[in-house]
Amino acid sequence: MSPTKRFPVLWRNVGFAAVLLVVLLAVNLALNPARFQPGSWGALIGLAAPLIGAAIASTPVILAGRGGIDISVGPLMGFVNAVVIQVLFLGAGISSPLILVPAALLVGALVGAANGFLATIVRIQPIVATLGTYLILTGVTLTILPAPIGPAPAWLKALSGPLSMLPLAAMFIGWWLVRRTPYYDQLMAVGSDDRAAYTAGVDVTRVRFIAYVTTGLLSGCAGLMLTALIGSADPNIGPTYTLIAIAAVALGGVSLAGGRGGVAGAAIGAIDIFLLQSVLTTFNVSTFVLQIAYGAILVLAVMLTALQERLATRRLT
Amino acid sequence: MADRHVPDFRGLAIRDLVIAPGASPITQAIAPGEIVGLAGLDGHGQELFLKMLAGLAPPLGGSIVLDLPSGGGKITGFRKAVSSGIAYLPRDRRANGIFPTQSVLDNFAVSTLSRDTRLGLISPAARKARYDIYREKLSIVAPRPDAPITTLSGGNQQKVLLARALALEPAILLLNDPTRGVDVATRHVLYDVFRGLASDGMGLVILSSEIEEILLLCHRVLVFRENEVAAEIAGQALTTDTVISAMFGRAA
Repeated sequence: MSPTKRFPVLWRNVGFAAVLLVVLLAVNLALNPARFQPGSWGALIGLAAPLIGAAIASTPVILAGRGGIDISVGPLMGFVNAVVIQVLFLGAGISSPLILVPAALLVGALVGAANGFLATIVRIQPIVATLGTYLILTGVTLTILPAPIGPAPAWLKALSGPLSMLPLAAMFIGWWLVRRTPYYDQLMAVGSDDRAAYTAGVDVTRVRFIAYVTTGLLSGCAGLMLTALIGSADPNIGPTYTLIAIAAVALGGVSLAGGRGGVAGAAIGAIDIFLLQSVLTTFNVSTFVLQIAYGAILVLAVMLTALQERLATRRLT
Repeated sequence: MADRHVPDFRGLAIRDLVIAPGASPITQAIAPGEIVGLAGLDGHGQELFLKMLAGLAPPLGGSIVLDLPSGGGKITGFRKAVSSGIAYLPRDRRANGIFPTQSVLDNFAVSTLSRDTRLGLISPAARKARYDIYREKLSIVAPRPDAPITTLSGGNQQKVLLARALALEPAILLLNDPTRGVDVATRHVLYDVFRGLASDGMGLVILSSEIEEILLLCHRVLVFRENEVAAEIAGQALTTDTVISAMFGRAA
């Protein structure tokens, strides 16, 4: 596939979010050139990383379609944060990345598997099933960690500074490999039309279950990014990522009906939100105005994406 | 897998199959190289029969056994049917067939994804090569295989779905009204393909709502009435009149 052929596909999927990215980046550079110096890129990416991670993590279950959504991504990040710092680092005295990283990913995958079990095998509506997990995780996190506590291991803090590209790069490479497996095609087929996928011989339940486990695994990774950024454990930060991550995913052109979009779009959506935040804080606007701006941009983006899609299909037929 | 339909393939044996409560059982055999038509007024059991052969509906009694030199076995469900060598082309293309957001290539490959992998990863070149074989065979008109399938005409979408089923290299191909909503020129291409598959030794079962199509294609027709096989017509007796009178339950 040549780049010229690839381009329209990427454009169709990301479209508006990419334009917004360029505009916001230009505005940011004009307003605050010092903050966007190459020297501070590491810290800047580290600051944006947990949101990008949360958006990427939310994507697989949404791609799987039929109302698939995981709203427990945020609390799971908080739970991983608490387990890594409070239980493993401060409690058990383990500081090696060789244990902490796999432990974080394992916790994520296990919670993902629990969500997958509830949503695909017991067949509770995904939003209800993951709302249950949301509440349970929030409560459990507060039980093991009633108040913020620190510090974090030095290597982990470095992951929000000069090495902040590392976890994000790991997520992208991981997903890039997934994209090339038969599983990815089955996921997109199930998200596109699950009845047709069944008739074509795809094990729909298995595919959806794996999507929840993947989301959990990626949430574990996002939890580590959050831990790196705050350099401590805080029970109250994680849950705030859930809704803003879903907004980022929608902004990035991932259809909440499933089967359309991808991780790159979700990441661009997350960067858009981060840059918007950055612009507005330069003007010293209150966080309440920030919320209004998120909402307005989201609605506008989804409308424009729908419009663009309609125009595209009209041109093709 | 490629020589599944070898000469000593013994066919699909249907024994005492009951498709509705109180209906008399159906015993049939679909031989290799045979094209069997299913006719009847809508809702008289022919579609249910076809779905049971595909493993999509559980039989109320009796058994369906695919008898192959390489194994085959009793059809107990859809997955088992596919793995034994039965492919099914669904009726409602828009609802049960195509993935509208996916490309032509993805739509083609979804049933046979694992065949394009090298070390667990998909090789786009292998997939494209496999698709090209069927594109040629079925003369699919799709300028860009990476464009969404919805950019193709109805007939070409149907050909892609047929290519998907054929890629499984089945011994038995079940077609649920395959030319519904397909233009006349494409129909004749499909008829030639079906005849070619049969002469290569595949067994075909075609449900059709058009009697002319059945007369043109099939060696043998099962006419359904009230969830039973009301008549089995073959050879010289196979005419529009005999099929229609059987459909309406009149003696031919």
